[in-house]
Amino acid sequence: MRNFLLASLCLLLGFCTQLRAQERTVTGAVTSSDDSSPLPGVSVVVKGTLVGTVTDGNGKYSIRVPNGNSTLVFSFVGMEELEVLVGSQSVINPSLKTLANELSEVVVVGYGVQQRKAFTGSASKVDAKQFANLMTPSIDKQLAGRATGVQVTNVGGGVNTPARIRIRGTNSVNQANDPLIVVDGIPIISGNLASTTNSNALGDINPADIENMEVLKDGSATAIYGSRAAAGVILITTKKGTKGRGKVSYDASIGFNNALKRFDVLNAQEFVMIANEKLANAGQALRANMDAAQTNTNWQDQVMVNNAAVHNHTLSAQGGTEKTSYYMSLNYSQQQGIIITNFNKAYRARLNVEHEANKYLKVGNNITISRQDDGDQNNGTNALSGAISSTLRLLPNVSPYNANHPTGFNINWPNGNSMNPGANTTSVDDNFTNAAFTLRNNQYRSDKYRIINNSFIEISPIQGLKLRSVFSADMLSDYSFQSWTNLHGDGYGTSTGGTNGYVYNENQNRLRYTWQNYVNYNLTLGKNHNIYLTAGHEVQRDNYKWHSTSGSNISDMFFIKENFITGSAAIQTTGGSMTQSGFESFFGRFNYDFNNKYFVQASIRRDGQSSLAPEKRYGVFPGFSAGWRVSQEGFWVNSGLSQYFNEVKLKASYARVGNTLSGFPYLSTYGARPYGNISGIAVSAIGNSDLQWETSNKYDVGVDIGILNNRFNLTADYFVNDVDNLVLGVPTPLSAGVPGNSISQNIGSLRNKGIELSIGGDILKTKDFTWNANFNYSNIKNEITALYSIGGTAVPYIQNGGYNLIEVGQPINVIHGYQFSGVNSANGNPVYVKADGTLAQLNISNGAPFSIGGYYVASGQNEGTLGAQTSLTFNDRARLGNPTPVWFGAFTNNFNYKGLSLEVMLRYSGGNKIFNITRQDALMNQSFQNNGREILQRWQKPGDITNVPKLYYGQGNNINQSQLANSRFLESGDYLRLQNIVLTYSVPSKALTKATKGFVQSLRLFAQGQNLAVWTKYSGADPDNISTLGLDNAVSPQIRTVSFGLNVGF
Amino acid sequence: MKTLVKRILIGAIPLAMMSSCETALDKSPFNAITDASAFSTADRCLLSLYGVYDAAQSSPYTDGTVRGYPFGAANIEQGDARGEDVINVAAFFQITYQATYNTTTANNVGHWGALYALINKANISIDGFKNAAKSNIITAAAAAQYEAECRFLRALAHHEAVTLFARPYLDGNGNKLGVPYRDFAINSGSAVDQVRAIPRPTVAENYEKILADLDFAETNLPATLSPGTVRATKAAAIALKQRVKLHKGDWAGVIAEGAKLVPAAAPFVSPIGAWKLTDEPSGPFTNNSSTESIFSIRNDALDNTGTNGALPSMYGAANLGARGLLAISPIIWNNAKWLETDKRRTQLYLTGANANGASTVNVFTKKYTSYTERADFAPQIRYAEVLLNSAEAEARQATGVSDRAIALLNAVRNRALAAPATEAYTAASFADKKALIAAILLERRVEFLAEGKRWSDIHRNAVDPDFNTGGIPAKYANAAQGAALYKVGGAINPTQAAIPYADFRFIWPIPDTEKTQNPIIEQNPGY
Repeated sequence: MRNFLLASLCLLLGFCTQLRAQERTVTGAVTSSDDSSPLPGVSVVVKGTLVGTVTDGNGKYSIRVPNGNSTLVFSFVGMEELEVLVGSQSVINPSLKTLANELSEVVVVGYGVQQRKAFTGSASKVDAKQFANLMTPSIDKQLAGRATGVQVTNVGGGVNTPARIRIRGTNSVNQANDPLIVVDGIPIISGNLASTTNSNALGDINPADIENMEVLKDGSATAIYGSRAAAGVILITTKKGTKGRGKVSYDASIGFNNALKRFDVLNAQEFVMIANEKLANAGQALRANMDAAQTNTNWQDQVMVNNAAVHNHTLSAQGGTEKTSYYMSLNYSQQQGIIITNFNKAYRARLNVEHEANKYLKVGNNITISRQDDGDQNNGTNALSGAISSTLRLLPNVSPYNANHPTGFNINWPNGNSMNPGANTTSVDDNFTNAAFTLRNNQYRSDKYRIINNSFIEISPIQGLKLRSVFSADMLSDYSFQSWTNLHGDGYGTSTGGTNGYVYNENQNRLRYTWQNYVNYNLTLGKNHNIYLTAGHEVQRDNYKWHSTSGSNISDMFFIKENFITGSAAIQTTGGSMTQSGFESFFGRFNYDFNNKYFVQASIRRDGQSSLAPEKRYGVFPGFSAGWRVSQEGFWVNSGLSQYFNEVKLKASYARVGNTLSGFPYLSTYGARPYGNISGIAVSAIGNSDLQWETSNKYDVGVDIGILNNRFNLTADYFVNDVDNLVLGVPTPLSAGVPGNSISQNIGSLRNKGIELSIGGDILKTKDFTWNANFNYSNIKNEITALYSIGGTAVPYIQNGGYNLIEVGQPINVIHGYQFSGVNSANGNPVYVKADGTLAQLNISNGAPFSIGGYYVASGQNEGTLGAQTSLTFNDRARLGNPTPVWFGAFTNNFNYKGLSLEVMLRYSGGNKIFNITRQDALMNQSFQNNGREILQRWQKPGDITNVPKLYYGQGNNINQSQLANSRFLESGDYLRLQNIVLTYSVPSKALTKATKGFVQSLRLFAQGQNLAVWTKYSGADPDNISTLGLDNAVSPQIRTVSFGLNVGF
Repeated sequence: MKTLVKRILIGAIPLAMMSSCETALDKSPFNAITDASAFSTADRCLLSLYGVYDAAQSSPYTDGTVRGYPFGAANIEQGDARGEDVINVAAFFQITYQATYNTTTANNVGHWGALYALINKANISIDGFKNAAKSNIITAAAAAQYEAECRFLRALAHHEAVTLFARPYLDGNGNKLGVPYRDFAINSGSAVDQVRAIPRPTVAENYEKILADLDFAETNLPATLSPGTVRATKAAAIALKQRVKLHKGDWAGVIAEGAKLVPAAAPFVSPIGAWKLTDEPSGPFTNNSSTESIFSIRNDALDNTGTNGALPSMYGAANLGARGLLAISPIIWNNAKWLETDKRRTQLYLTGANANGASTVNVFTKKYTSYTERADFAPQIRYAEVLLNSAEAEARQATGVSDRAIALLNAVRNRALAAPATEAYTAASFADKKALIAAILLERRVEFLAEGKRWSDIHRNAVDPDFNTGGIPAKYANAAQGAALYKVGGAINPTQAAIPYADFRFIWPIPDTEKTQNPIIEQNPGY
């Protein structure tokens, strides 16, 4: 209070002094340097006095100044303050610059913001401007390469498939590895949530509404999120209105999607040759023939579209008065995928309002309302009607059409379970269905409604103290629909047999309430002691319920067009369930800095979680960090180093955070298990009341360096995540008969360690031309460090499906399989290396006493005589490779010349191996099905040197070792991708304002290409088409998008 | 500073108080009953019993889906695909058909897992019933009956496992490695540890425990239960015991068990449960709960084993709306000893399209015809089997050609004959007792064709000097097709070589995951 009085006194004195001076009038208009638009509401003050005014609606002002030595101070929220010496001028028309890096000066952290220079954790900021012009249904798909330590995989070309985001590695074996996503302070529902389609809950957030994204990576930054922080946190801040200045803008873009790379399959002639060779080698009658019309069908053309249209429109308005500010937007986005049935349409609206009732009280509300329509198809990797799995196998010498069938498609009549074989003697093996028909007739759709509303009240009883209460409701309703026609495909049948049409509806309802109450307090003691405190309480409740209806044996396909219709199905079933869960937490954070030079932070969170036994429910998660701005030290300033390195900050942090569990894994439960229509219950899970959450000890050391007065910035971090208490459904012996063959236990640990490096800045900067570049690199090594024991003996590994192991000393899910040593040039048999170094060859040809499909000793790689019978056993499998990319990053260049700018982003990733199941099971099959062109290299006669074994009809499972990994189908996942090229032209604002009489304030035109090229040795559709296990199994090709757009500001 | 602190507190306390009155953490499941109350009422005990039967119908497959493992469909399909009397038309059962399975093959891993999932549910429920009886929630009699039903299923499952994963009893009188026998509830981590200390017992030890379970079941099961057929009754326990003793080569035992269900003279109607043959061979298939259907696993329109498991889907002809995957093989169809005029050939079989397209045909069974609802029960024990079991034991036990054996054989065969008066067997039909036994074994193949019993006959006779099949018999090539293959009395041309009994592939491997999680379990040699 004393300080306040003193200051008031000074001001008063100053004011009095001014009264005695000479006065004159200065006038002018204030504009924005961005677009030369007039700025209303700018404060104009004579420096050192209380004399001041505010610009009017046209940005004009008039002020009386004492004399020529006076200085005018122009200030406006969100703009750089400008001081102008009046001198002899009577007209001053200043132009204010936007505080371009207003947010870069601060870091958004949990429950508050911090000065970037004082921030001692590790976080990567993703500026919304970086993806503002990109065509994308949701921001997750554009995150790849934007931040160090953040590995983003876009699997396949589905426009509604969420990207897989891993922050600083894979941090759990069984639990969630997806980061916590927090929008405007509230953890939102996220994931792939619809039941009949891929559907991205993050797509409810319009990318154009995003002001800023902050990826929290280390322990210190994430510890405030306690038990949910192990996989990192992404904080998204949406746009707020700017006081005083109304602005309306319209953004539109339109473009085209195409497949980046399609599968390379045999043409009709090649197919006939290969198929008949398979049959002839197996001693079977030939089946394949060319028809008279020389039919040559590329089935991919039947399910994929060229130049699929995409467009996106956002109309937004923002502004505010002294007391109230608002941001609102309306958006319509339509994304058509490259598979004919794949689309996403989004309708999104947002309104963010804040109102200051008085200097103590502020209230506000952020609401977004969204509807997403998703369309999809059967994406089953081996499904007979799978969009990709079928197109790879359907016979190319058969037409998709047949005028004799009522539908016009090639379907057998009246038995529509198979296709007409054309000139072949049989149809495609396994009756893969006519994809041209099934994709056009079967439906997979979802429409979702989403409302996310946050209301807050903020009280500032005294300077530096803010009490904030936020209540949020996040509601998601999904209505999914699926229907299969009875004529052909998955729903095939007649009223006496088969499915005979199928329809399915599911409605799911998710609701999350979050209530946060917290305090932020800023305090400066003396001159150099700054303290920043945060403390609060948070409660979250989740409700999830769904029900479904299905019908089969449909009376008439009329009834399955849009929805299930009561009574239309002879067999009707229903399903449903519900779950509830909750969190309750207390948290606090203490920051202290001395003289802007030394920084420490400590935080703590106590989380309670409903999924654990009452006595194990609470956990405490502390975090600590410290920073030292070396560049503020006298020795540095005086050493001359500061000339080059103006900012050097060293930091270190440690925290223990957690990974939550879901459901009720502590309980043994009995679920409903009817025996036919006789109701029953049966044990469905064996619980473990000792369960605790996974803990992650995160260590980080880093340095931030500003070079040449921040012309270049360098950030480097080294981190270790030690994850312990991994919750594994510890496998139980099958012969124990435990439900799910596992009991959850806290046993096992893993470690991720890595480095992150980012360097960027202006390489060239002249008056008209700048070249700004940024390079980032991350390298993350994962290792399983311990697993559980059986009877005192440590278990070295757990099998994770047929292709992967979770093994101590190896990266998680290491690919595990047989070592292929090549094809025996004498007989075309595939040869494998056994663990003892001996060779085993698979006998492909039939003939007693050697049974087909059996393994026999090969005394040499090309030894044609079969030796003794042998077998490939589990112990003969080797560790073939790491399925997770180890290194990745991006190189981004921005070139600006006057109004033109060009961004080129290259992205790279690698160090991983991909097991190409698409090749193993589909492209190299030995059935009467089409193949990839690789099969043309097959062994045909003694002496042929190749890696493709002899063809033999029906022996695909054996020849390719289906369901098991082997090194023959293992490939490198390294790639370099031309991720984006964006060319933007901003129309000069003066000319624009003049031409439109001030109606249009700004206009930008742009053209861009996304995912334009990928350079890789990987033979599949795309090296990003991998599961977390490193498996590529019949995934849709990736999309290349080219689009054009404009931004208009009014 | 004091004022400051006061103001913070005044501001913060009400906010914190407002939110902490929530009870966000006290949640419990809505979709499952906890173990604390799963047996807390008589009704819940009965629900748990049906849950065990459900596990017999549809324990999860390796991918968690329902495919009829172990007894809802899979034991029948696998039992046939291991033998020579069906042709695998496409790839679906190819691994089993060609015996190219290994320690991770889904079919045998899935079957192993599903059998023990059933067994453990039975064991957990037995504990629950006993505790409920102690607490007077159910009567001791009800607890004993429920336990008997569970022990019947436990015996059925263990016998299935020992038939697939172990050498037959008759090889060394049961001294070969058997399968783990689980007879206690595994419902905690410590119970799992207990399991890990138990090595594989011998086949003989398995048979001893199976028979003990069945003795208990026989004693405590009623003669009838509602609903019939789909629950185990006294007759089911006796019939299964009879089958087990047949595998053991205990002919006297088979005869003794048979005598409880088969009167000394025709008409053959069981004194327990009144089971008898239907008039027509198709009777047990036109009526799931026929007078002959002693025990079947229930399927119905609402809960069945799905398109990837259901018997009608797999065995039915594609032109009838099924998938046409398991066809009848000429090996049995062309056998002229199965008379061309036999009613079964027309009542239960047809030539129809197979999985490979409308123009490619095989002979398919019509035993399972619920092509849209997939509601055919999975037949496990029919009265016909009781008769033929007794017939075989009588024939083997007798020194000459047994008249009673012929009478029992004729009871089954005659109903299918066009002209029983002239075609029925007489003592003169058989040169010696071996010929009679051979006729009974053939009759089993014909009568139970497409009911999955082929493998258990191959298995139990594998070391029989007279009636072995030389291991896994030679078969038609995978996907052999075309109407031309089929002609009664026509050529039989199996090109897929037999696998000798001594070959390791004669029995299935213990799954890898079992080995990994339970190192005490010894792998079958060769895998």
